[in-house]
Amino acid sequence: MLETLALMGQGFINALVPVNILAMAAGTTIGIVIGCLPGLSAAMGVALLLPMTFTMEASTGLIMLGAIYCGAIFGGSISAILIHTPGTPASAATAIEGYQMTLQGKAGKALGTACISSFFGGLLSCISLYFFAPLLAQLAMKFGSPEYFWLSIFGLTIIAGVSSKSMVKGLISGALGLLLSTIGMDPMEGVKRFMFGQSSLYEGINTTCALIGLFSMSQALILAEQKIKQRARAAKFNDKMMLTKKEMKQIAPTVGRSWIIGNLIGILPGAGASIACFLGYNTARQFSKEKEKFGHGSIEGVAGSEAANNAVTGGSLIPMLTLGIPGESVTAVLMGGLIIQGLTPGPDLFVGETAKMTYTFFAGFVLIQFFMLGIGLLGCRGFAQISRLSDAILIPAVSVLCVVGSYAIHKNFVDVVIMMIFGVLGYLCRKFDLNTAAIVLALILGPIGEKGLRRSLALSGGNPAILFSTPVCWVLIALCVFGILSPIMMNRMEKKAVEQAGGDIPGETGDDPVRTAD
Amino acid sequence: MKKTDIGVVAFIYAVCALFLVMTLRLPAAAQTYPLFIIVLLAALTTLYVAQMVRAAKKSGVTTGLEDFQGFLPKQFFPILGMVVLYLVVMYFAGFYIATLVFMAACLLFLKVPKWQILLSTAVILALVYCAFTLFLKVKLPVGLLFK
Repeated sequence: MLETLALMGQGFINALVPVNILAMAAGTTIGIVIGCLPGLSAAMGVALLLPMTFTMEASTGLIMLGAIYCGAIFGGSISAILIHTPGTPASAATAIEGYQMTLQGKAGKALGTACISSFFGGLLSCISLYFFAPLLAQLAMKFGSPEYFWLSIFGLTIIAGVSSKSMVKGLISGALGLLLSTIGMDPMEGVKRFMFGQSSLYEGINTTCALIGLFSMSQALILAEQKIKQRARAAKFNDKMMLTKKEMKQIAPTVGRSWIIGNLIGILPGAGASIACFLGYNTARQFSKEKEKFGHGSIEGVAGSEAANNAVTGGSLIPMLTLGIPGESVTAVLMGGLIIQGLTPGPDLFVGETAKMTYTFFAGFVLIQFFMLGIGLLGCRGFAQISRLSDAILIPAVSVLCVVGSYAIHKNFVDVVIMMIFGVLGYLCRKFDLNTAAIVLALILGPIGEKGLRRSLALSGGNPAILFSTPVCWVLIALCVFGILSPIMMNRMEKKAVEQAGGDIPGETGDDPVRTAD
Repeated sequence: MKKTDIGVVAFIYAVCALFLVMTLRLPAAAQTYPLFIIVLLAALTTLYVAQMVRAAKKSGVTTGLEDFQGFLPKQFFPILGMVVLYLVVMYFAGFYIATLVFMAACLLFLKVPKWQILLSTAVILALVYCAFTLFLKVKLPVGLLFK
């Protein structure tokens, strides 16, 4: 206990060094810019800027990626409120009330509410991160090879949850990712597998290049296929952004409820901020004393949606950091950031020297929320203008950043070609309802599962009974069943929430309005 | 059922076949895991084929082209071509020259006003130079011609 408290204190001291402060400020600003640009998503932004962090200290790099994540989730609300076009799917519910407030000349108040609610949602989500992550990590330390095999299977069951339309197509995407994850050296036999004569594929497909291709390059291609749209000019606003004491009092219970909703949704595999925002919005309406204002510009509606989607951020990091299981696409990309730093996501992050890095990141994650509040409140007017940036400029700019980013990782041209192949694959997947997030999860989890399975079988002389030999194995098997069933429940919850919200969801977000690309 | 799904299924089967051929060339001990994944992928694809047939009987066949509504081939393919060409030019002429040409060509093609072309190209080049060359000390490709 005392040791944990010391690590927490040390984390804050480390997080407050100038380079980390700079990373927080830069990451939050970049994140808000990405978030407020309709057409770009949080996962895409984090993937695109991943290579920027590989020469940084691990904690600084993670802080920067975390800041982009939080900034992007909040940034989506700016275009949602001002031009009725959510920058990311996570702000779809915010657009309902936020734009109504803009039409009434209360755009500043709506943005202020979004900013303050996002701040509290994100800040409170850090509590669960501090509380649950070490507990889960302690449990994970008892895991052996069979448990790791089941853990990866549990992660793979999430694939069913990230399926967009057809669950079978989602599973096909996952199996395709698993097959691609076998490219490279066989972990037990030391045999070269499916390397097509490329020695750079010795360690397998570079996950970061695949991430950049699947999330960022494919998005540039998606933008390139449609007529370039002229976006509406963002509404000018002169009203005060700061909330009065009365308004703060009014939104406080809503923020509290949305925090709990967002946190739980974040921890659950396969769920994400796009579901949380609708659940937060609906709960705000259910409990509101001014129900008649909903649909006509309610600050409680904006607060409910924004607090919930930002509360997802802290919760979603828990399974990734403690078990090495990313629950959705943004955390899968963040996991790529950890791997790039030579770290293995899982309980090892909470032991010895690495624990200092982890707690520095946690502290940084708390401080990021303050940066989001400050930069959000001060820069809203400027960000509003950026949201008009034309897709015609975004297409070549994103392409260039994808190319330079994938090259920079190993200074290898083959990586650029791999990124491009995955870019085209990602584009085709999105057009034909296959799932890019499922491919990524399988690419990450495939090697963990393969090693776990083959080591277990080697230890038991080929007897598969070892996979069912401990109580933890059975708990994980039960979780796998839950992993398959939870997306079905989530789908029902989401449908119900969208219907209750009026079903009037404005179009053109950063991605398909599924939970894969919050 | 969508007609385009036939292409998706054919592609997945082709991938399975390609990996199967390569797997059978591996030593016996290294074959098991990839074979398991190939069988899994083929089985899931076959399950999807069964779903497709059932859907075709129940609600007919659509072209699937509705997913491509608004698709502009005259815009998409030239841009895709430019990106591929960008990589080729980069290989021979280096990163900065290729990026300058690609940005300008792409923005001109998309009918962006000239001052925005100049500004965007300058901003991207400056951003990459500061972030990757100065800050990350990444030696970006100089190209075969300048080696």
